Amino acid sequence: MNARFDVIVIGAGHNGLAAAEALAKRGKSVCVVEQSDAVGGMACDRLAHLLYNPAPSGVETREIDTVSLSPEGAHVLIRRGEARFTSGKPHPDAAAYQTLYRRLVRYAGLLHQLAEAPPPGLEQGVTSLAGLRELSRLAKLGVGVKRLGKAEMREFLRILLTNAYDLLLDEMPDGPLPGALAADAVRGAFSGPRSPGTVLSLMYRLRHGGGVFLPAGGMGAVAGAYAEGARRAGAEVRCGLGVTRVIVEGDKVAGVLLSDGGRLDASAVLSSVGPMQTMRMAGIAEFDIEAVRRARKLRAKGSTAKLNLRLGGVPEFTGLSAAQVKARLLVAPSVAGVERSFNPAKYGDLPKQPVLEMVLTDGTGPSTLSVIAGHVPETSWTTDRRESFTASVVETIERFAPGFGSLVEEADLLTPEDISAMTGAPGGHWHHAEMGLDQMLTTRPTVGMARYRFGVAGLYLCGASAHPGGDVTGAPGRNSAAQVLADGVA
Amino acid sequence: MMDGRIETRDVAAVPVGLIETPVFSRLDQISTAKQWGNWAGYISPLVLDTMEFEYFAIRNQSTLLDVSPMHKYRVTGPDAETMLNRMVTRDLRKVAPGRVAYAMWCDEEGMVIDDGTLFRFAENDFRLCCQESMHGWLLDAAWGFDVEVIDESHSVAGLSLQGPTSFSVLQAAGLGAAGSLKPFDLVKLEPDLWVSRTGFTGDLGYELWVPWDRLTKLWDRLWAQRAPWGMRAIGTHALDMVRIEAGFVAAKVDFQPVLTASRLGRGRTPIELGFERLVHFDKGHFNGRRALLKQRDTGPRYNLVRLDIGGFKPAQDALIYHRKRREVGHVTSGIWSPTAKRNIALAELRAPFGGEKTDDLWAEVYVNEEGRWDKRLVPVTVQTKPFFRNDRARATPPRAF
Amino acid sequence: MGQHDRYDAIIAGAGHNGLTTACYLARAGLKVLVVEKNDWIGGAAVSRSLHEGWTYSNCSYVCSLLRREIVRDLDLPKFGLQVIPYEGGATFTANGDYFAYHSDHDALRREIARHEPRDVDAYDRFSQTVIRQCRFIRPFLLRSAPDPTSFKINDLQELLYLVKRAHGLGPRELAETLRFWTMSIGDFLDEHFENDLIKAHLAGSGIIGTGLGVYSPGTAYVLLHHYMGDVDGAIGAWGFARGGMGAISKALGDCFEAAGGTIFTGSGVERFLVEGGKIIGVALDNGDEYRAPIVASNMDVKRTFLEHTDAKDLPEDFTRAVKRFKIRGSSGKLNIALDALPDFPAAPKGANFLRGDLHASESLAELERAYDDWKEGRWSANPYFDMLIPSQIDPTMAPPGKHMMTVFVQYAPYALEKDGVCSGENWTEEAKKAFAETVFDKIEQVCPDIRSKVVHAEIRTPRDIEREVGLTEGNIFQGELTFDQLLFNRPVPGYANYATPIEGMYLVGSSAHPGGGVMAAPGANAAREILKKLGKGAAVAAEAA
Repeated sequence: MNARFDVIVIGAGHNGLAAAEALAKRGKSVCVVEQSDAVGGMACDRLAHLLYNPAPSGVETREIDTVSLSPEGAHVLIRRGEARFTSGKPHPDAAAYQTLYRRLVRYAGLLHQLAEAPPPGLEQGVTSLAGLRELSRLAKLGVGVKRLGKAEMREFLRILLTNAYDLLLDEMPDGPLPGALAADAVRGAFSGPRSPGTVLSLMYRLRHGGGVFLPAGGMGAVAGAYAEGARRAGAEVRCGLGVTRVIVEGDKVAGVLLSDGGRLDASAVLSSVGPMQTMRMAGIAEFDIEAVRRARKLRAKGSTAKLNLRLGGVPEFTGLSAAQVKARLLVAPSVAGVERSFNPAKYGDLPKQPVLEMVLTDGTGPSTLSVIAGHVPETSWTTDRRESFTASVVETIERFAPGFGSLVEEADLLTPEDISAMTGAPGGHWHHAEMGLDQMLTTRPTVGMARYRFGVAGLYLCGASAHPGGDVTGAPGRNSAAQVLADGVA
Repeated sequence: MMDGRIETRDVAAVPVGLIETPVFSRLDQISTAKQWGNWAGYISPLVLDTMEFEYFAIRNQSTLLDVSPMHKYRVTGPDAETMLNRMVTRDLRKVAPGRVAYAMWCDEEGMVIDDGTLFRFAENDFRLCCQESMHGWLLDAAWGFDVEVIDESHSVAGLSLQGPTSFSVLQAAGLGAAGSLKPFDLVKLEPDLWVSRTGFTGDLGYELWVPWDRLTKLWDRLWAQRAPWGMRAIGTHALDMVRIEAGFVAAKVDFQPVLTASRLGRGRTPIELGFERLVHFDKGHFNGRRALLKQRDTGPRYNLVRLDIGGFKPAQDALIYHRKRREVGHVTSGIWSPTAKRNIALAELRAPFGGEKTDDLWAEVYVNEEGRWDKRLVPVTVQTKPFFRNDRARATPPRAF
Repeated sequence: MGQHDRYDAIIAGAGHNGLTTACYLARAGLKVLVVEKNDWIGGAAVSRSLHEGWTYSNCSYVCSLLRREIVRDLDLPKFGLQVIPYEGGATFTANGDYFAYHSDHDALRREIARHEPRDVDAYDRFSQTVIRQCRFIRPFLLRSAPDPTSFKINDLQELLYLVKRAHGLGPRELAETLRFWTMSIGDFLDEHFENDLIKAHLAGSGIIGTGLGVYSPGTAYVLLHHYMGDVDGAIGAWGFARGGMGAISKALGDCFEAAGGTIFTGSGVERFLVEGGKIIGVALDNGDEYRAPIVASNMDVKRTFLEHTDAKDLPEDFTRAVKRFKIRGSSGKLNIALDALPDFPAAPKGANFLRGDLHASESLAELERAYDDWKEGRWSANPYFDMLIPSQIDPTMAPPGKHMMTVFVQYAPYALEKDGVCSGENWTEEAKKAFAETVFDKIEQVCPDIRSKVVHAEIRTPRDIEREVGLTEGNIFQGELTFDQLLFNRPVPGYANYATPIEGMYLVGSSAHPGGGVMAAPGANAAREILKKLGKGAAVAAEAA
């Protein structure tokens, strides 16, 4: 007799765990199966360091400032809509920045409701009753937009699909201040700020108000809280156990086969890995040819590397106070510079001037500088290339913190290839699938898969490749769980 | 500046316009009509002599048609059956090696992409013959399976030998071993020569398959035996008449292959084309199954039916009316059948017409009578059986005509 | 003060859109004046004889987007317009091979198979998708864009029409449509094809005239924009206007004059005259003034409002939006008189695909790199070109035996970088020459003997196009074709229906919906709006069934 659950969740990333919690809370018996020994997936200390949205309950967070470093030493201190120089002097573009920032946060708030539910569906067409219900959800957004007033509404519609480069430089001259926003707009994405759609990804990041939070206990604590939430709700979380196959019988899922040879029965399976991996687990023959083709062609080229530098001492950045060093430090000297850092990645080359986001994770004694670096190519990471990239990041930091290089005791570089191997994220992509305009909402991850349902009855996607996408929010997981409940399959 | 960097390669320019099949010179010699058409980029005879005589030869003697322009794809490998079974709607596990199966395949919405014949040479060795180019689709369908897809369209050639005396011709040509073939059987009679008891005529007939460069020899070998059996070479126009009699549907005529339709909503499901019997829902997943299941419950939007049409004038393209008023469909293929002595047609009717509703249907036929157009409303009746049926088509061993 | 002649309507600028509006208004019985700063009409649709015996279509150079509804309405063939399809095209490689885009479908399939058998069916799927999208979008070209922020009956009707069309697509096709509209042409091609050369050949239409790269989202739509044309019903077919692009303007001009209209050339609008928020006329460079209750500007939105309208007559936010309007030029042009047909050693002698568009960019990466140069304010070191020799088909373009070659070049910036500063001023004669040499070097890859056959060459940078034609920053579409500048956002949110903040003043050029490409659609749509307001319900370019 096999163990039987209502729902199996493949992968104990934050999304898988969020889905498990939501389902368990509704009385479903849920088992989360995680191949690695730790929960969290990409939400782990080696890979991530900051939150842009509220943390799950039980995790203390501290909002931190952002410092956008300037090669000329005129570093900009940013906290949400406020900007000034780190020296305390006012920034000449502070007012323009604030207006733009507030506008973006306001627009982002409107879009937020779209992220918290399954994307508007098209299956019903737009003139049927069910279709009207879908439309009314959009209409709610419409009402929100309408409340903006005509002028703002027009502005919303104009900038929604535009590019960060034009949006920022229309309002202020290029430099570290707009550079910081440009870097935020494209972090984790395979695009530069000139790409249309980057304003939308910037708003995605700002949809919780734009604060940057450092979780106490690091990302591991966040992951732990997600797991705790799932367990508390009654879900079982099993680590160190992979799923080798999703069992399909008569076009319905029946359970999963495990790497230890065991089998779990269930009438619903949620997968937090990418569409292609999920298809392989269930068997390609169970899916329509077009669906497989779309999954194959999904754009998921990782462009971001993670570098953890263990330091022998606390680094000193020219022009920054000891407190300011603990801010989120950005090397994004200009919007044009961020675009330039993306150029080589398009051809599989390394950037000459990488764009960096750095957080000193421990301020006392030996500390680690956690660095997210972009843009990098997805593949072909030879030892030479790894070393030369690490060196170029250290060299870049050295320019702002003389003597930095000599503090580095150990460098742990995670390329997209490594991230993919570690977490199963397709292409090592930060968001499992590019958050391009063509892979958002109703077309995320791609046509015909947006409502989490994944071909075979009872099979669902619940990872970041599904709507609304990446970041440590648990939203795709929760939405997927809602769809499972709505379908009544488990 | 660029001097020395230019190396002009001798690039073989591709031919523009229609090209010849291996037996074109033979056909050109025979042809008195000189009516040629484009079949997948090849020069193919529409009529070689006189369409009517060619038609009667199919039903009375035997005929030879060069079917080399057909698209042909070899699918081999351990997963060949699984891969193809996921692609087509019928269950290929029931098609044994040495058998040929007529099959349809659909897109994800259950709309027919094309129909064709699947030849199963061995457990893991198939060939798909069809009208539309299917290389891209097969490559997509094969992705993730341990199979190899090879486009044999230009390396395998074929002749279709059809009609009551076709077996006699084979026998005379030293291929009498084909006598044991039941309909849809397939056998390798000689090295490089496969023979199948298949065809598009609904009559006794065989198709012979050889490497491209062996076709002329095969042609000559059969042609040498023609006289006693009245065999003649034919063009595709005559074939079109007999396939309507046999009730076979033709892509781009009776249905629009959905991948080539640029207008929306032109696709039709196998159920709508009257081929529900070839949709095997119980075999596991196949492309479009989920959509077709839904349609099985909700019913088809259209019905492709066989019609017996009043009067004697062919009803090609005629509109079909219910109670002489409401337009409910149109004829997709219509001819006067010289053998059945009926005015026959295939027609697409909007459901429920052609399904539950078959009464009081009329065809609007336009006839040009030496410069004057006459419009007639003639009664039509829906037929369930093919218009042409003859026992000789199924008898094994074949009767001597 | 000059004379004070009164008209019912004045059109500023005799570009093809201005002339189209003029024709419709004149045919509806209005007394219409067209004023043009140049000594010739046509704007960017001109044929000019810059070297004796040769005719240059020295700006726009192909004709296929011109809406057939308009051609028929205005009876342009009667006024001499004749469009001849061209016979294919090719992309040449540096190693002496080529991809020939045969107009014969079977030959095209064979040619694709020669490069990559897997791409043969892919091409048919690709063109099917493009044709489907064209069918969906085409009816919108000859309609005004609805304002989604408005509850006016017209806008609601237009929105409803949009919803209806979208519903007709069905769920899968609608999702595919959303995706197509937001994709880059590079991603779209990568999804369909394996072969780099084939992809590069097809990608050009996605970037021509834009400040975007092949991997910029939205370029799939640009491709559509270029494919929406048709020469006698064949979607996507391209053609030459016999006698050069000026033939279009000439036909429109003749049509206009036949309808009783007046054209003054040689002096452009210096100022739009506004009184109490209403337009009252125009003042010309030469001091003349003309009065009319309706004035339509064929100039781009920036030129119209930032240079020739008094800022005090405009709401501040409108002016701000106009300033923000993106109109970066990205292309240059070489117009070349040739002593003889250049040699194409790679191609078979007399190949008919040479009578089409010729290119030498071999991969999407090469095209993307060309874009990277432009972003930095440089012309592409390895540029993309769209090269045609219309004189092979059109005997009126060059003396017998001689040829006229038009080379559209991308990318070339308006603001050229020099010593870290980007400015239009940096386009010195020297810079222009260096730019031309870069292009000739690239053409030599295809025609090694090209330099020896050149009799005369006209070099046009975005700066020249601005100076002569008046297109701000030399942008050939009078404004970039990006999401934020299409449909209801074009040219300025809230003003997509050809009206402006000044009563009686209209915008009829390509800055308005649906944008550039010698379609004449903005001109016709604007005319419809103007006539509607006048209560003259004349049918203007009714949508073809």
